[in-house]
Amino acid sequence: MRRFTVAARAARVPVLALALALALALASTALAAVESDKVVSTEWLAAHLDDPKVRVIEVSVVPGVYERGHIPGAVNFVWHTDLVETVVRDVVSPERFQELAQAAGIDNDTTVVLYGDNNNWFAAWGAWIFNLYGHEDVRILDGGRAKWEAEGRELSVRPPSYPRGNFEVKTINSHLRVRLADVLDVVTHNKDVAILDIRSPAEYEGRIFAPEGFQELAIRAGHIPGAVNVPWSQAVNPDGTFKSKEELRQLYASVGIDGSKPIIVYCRIGERSSHTWFVLSQILGYEVAQYDGSWTEWGNTVGVPIVNLAGTVWGAQ
Amino acid sequence: MPSDRMASFEAFGCDPAELSSPAPEARRSSGPVTGPEERAPSYWLPGLGAAAVLAAIAASAAWVYGVPGRGAASAFSLLFGAAFGILMQRGRFCFYCMFRDLIERRDPRPFYSLLAALAVGSVCYVVIFSAFLPTPTPGRLPPDAHIGPVSWALPAAGIAFGLGMTLSGACISGHLYRLGEGYTRAPFALAGAVIGFGAGFFSWRTLYLATISKAPVPWLPHALGYSGALAVQLAAIGLIALLLTRYLPGARAVPQAGPQSAAAATAPAAGNEPLSSDCSADPAQLRALAAVLSTLPPESPSPAPGPSPQPSPAPSASPASGVPLAELWQRIFVQRWSPGITGAAVGVLGALAYFRVAPLGVTSQLGSIARTWLTDAGLLAGRLNGLDAFRGCVTMVVHTISDNGLFISALTAASFAMAVVGRRFKLSRLTVKGAVSALGGGILMGWGSMIALGCTVGTLLSGIMAFSLSGWVFFGSVLAGVWAGLKLGLHRLV
Repeated sequence: MRRFTVAARAARVPVLALALALALALASTALAAVESDKVVSTEWLAAHLDDPKVRVIEVSVVPGVYERGHIPGAVNFVWHTDLVETVVRDVVSPERFQELAQAAGIDNDTTVVLYGDNNNWFAAWGAWIFNLYGHEDVRILDGGRAKWEAEGRELSVRPPSYPRGNFEVKTINSHLRVRLADVLDVVTHNKDVAILDIRSPAEYEGRIFAPEGFQELAIRAGHIPGAVNVPWSQAVNPDGTFKSKEELRQLYASVGIDGSKPIIVYCRIGERSSHTWFVLSQILGYEVAQYDGSWTEWGNTVGVPIVNLAGTVWGAQ
Repeated sequence: MPSDRMASFEAFGCDPAELSSPAPEARRSSGPVTGPEERAPSYWLPGLGAAAVLAAIAASAAWVYGVPGRGAASAFSLLFGAAFGILMQRGRFCFYCMFRDLIERRDPRPFYSLLAALAVGSVCYVVIFSAFLPTPTPGRLPPDAHIGPVSWALPAAGIAFGLGMTLSGACISGHLYRLGEGYTRAPFALAGAVIGFGAGFFSWRTLYLATISKAPVPWLPHALGYSGALAVQLAAIGLIALLLTRYLPGARAVPQAGPQSAAAATAPAAGNEPLSSDCSADPAQLRALAAVLSTLPPESPSPAPGPSPQPSPAPSASPASGVPLAELWQRIFVQRWSPGITGAAVGVLGALAYFRVAPLGVTSQLGSIARTWLTDAGLLAGRLNGLDAFRGCVTMVVHTISDNGLFISALTAASFAMAVVGRRFKLSRLTVKGAVSALGGGILMGWGSMIALGCTVGTLLSGIMAFSLSGWVFFGSVLAGVWAGLKLGLHRLV
């Protein structure tokens, strides 16, 4: 009995300390919204909904999500058709993108805020395209659609309408995108470029060809030689918001990605890696290009080198 | 005794003569005979039972709302399912009965329920579409509306579905609500539908490559814009309504079918007086409906909104002088609701469901069960060419109950509650022949609704409300299938 009491008393101090530490940690996560001018909070956006120089764009992947309730005034960009070419596999052409942006009432000096479902994956793709086509002020809503909804904020079903904007694709920032040949060049000539595979470890190691339920597959499994693996999801908190700058810096530094050399990110089709592209380039300020051909191109290409830790050959016997 | 009457109806698989023969009157007239002192408990017990079932649905909705990964869509699926179940049971919104009454008895009155649903639903859908897809640009469709491909596989599926309806005694949604009324053939038909879905998956590849992959997906607003599409569709619905008025009782001298005379014996006042307000509810409302429909030109046929100025059964039963609660009870919970009001409510419900969750449909979960079993057994490829790219009652490989599963569960449960309170719950007598024919009919319906990407609810009702040509083609072919089934005498195989 007595011993238990003593033990309990002894335990109280560390328990208190632990509680204090936990409270501090919680408080700091609550406050530690990522410090970046490329990320806006739900509070900020709520306060700027009527700002004519702010245009909110939703890029969600599930059909009907935008239509059944979106952030008031937000314009819908359909990832499947608006932000890619529909016949040739490619990103949306500059002409079509300019038309899309103008129709959404975007001027060259508009602050574009993107958000979407699925942890902003496709919104990040949208941010990458906006950057690729030279728009100046592109930001992402921290926590995306899920956080806005979870906070019980206002949604609208009315389609917005804006006078035509004057957005023009003046420059194409082609350094934000790499093609198969570029990556192959890095791999075969052992160039000083970091390659980051942001898929799940099972995909990276070659144990599976694609996440369950996805149909667009590759003939071979594994990863690009030299690539390191940090799944995209490690960059976000449980509520979908970005981790703090310091946490992010440490996370990628742990696999040797510290911004000291250029980085190439890839995934399966290039949409999840847009998220990591955003984190590394827009939040941490590293030099990052996205390889949007990703594994569905690399794993299907004849003769390119592959590392397959799992030794799988075909998806089926 | 009402139960004897019901037993004789069950031979038909549904109660098609109920509008003609005021069976409710017969039941109502049996009320006072039992005496008020005996009546009180028989009111309250079923009433409390039904309230408990509906409360359980509401509680489930509240609970599922908070479940991570579920939320509002699941909660609304339960509530919409319950509402649809109540409407189907109280208004006998049964496609087979509507079609059969029209074809066999030349009685279009139940059919007006469907026309009202389509017209009101079209109006509401346009309001939603104009927000979801402000300009109906070719190449774009409003999200997940049931607009399907039109190939020769579609009428084939519709005819198979119609034959299956006749053989099994109801369509899939009909079986779901009649399951709640104790219709013992329903489980066989629903099991058959799951098997039929399996057969559909196996024939999908062939049909997809032969015709469906090349088929157009016609959508009226692409050609005519929203207002044009609405005008054309309402005109078509109005024209059908107008053409059918000649078959309305009162419009023809032909006396009512057999049960009418029985009704005349029990309730002579419920005879043929036109539009007299004190006349018993159903025939009077139907005559009013017919009057509304027949006085409108086909060009501006808001015939379906037409019934709305009509008083609903309950208020009409309560003049200022006051009507006993018992009368109100009868009108709401025992007597069949007016076809126009039921249909209009189904139209509104269809649009609300589309707005909040997905278009009305009842086969998604059944088809998903078949697909999951076959996939798990290694008999079906994980990917069915083209199927997952089409809109309609989608099937998935799932190991949980989908929102559609919640919808149909609530539908059956709410129908059960209404059947109990309206004293219509009765386990029908099951014969081997009846079970086998229900299973066979179910297989035909399952195959048909797999190929058509939905059934009478998903493809016909939600499809036409969404201005798809596929909905109209399926409508016509199901009607043809039921007609053929009746000519072949499939409905007698019970």
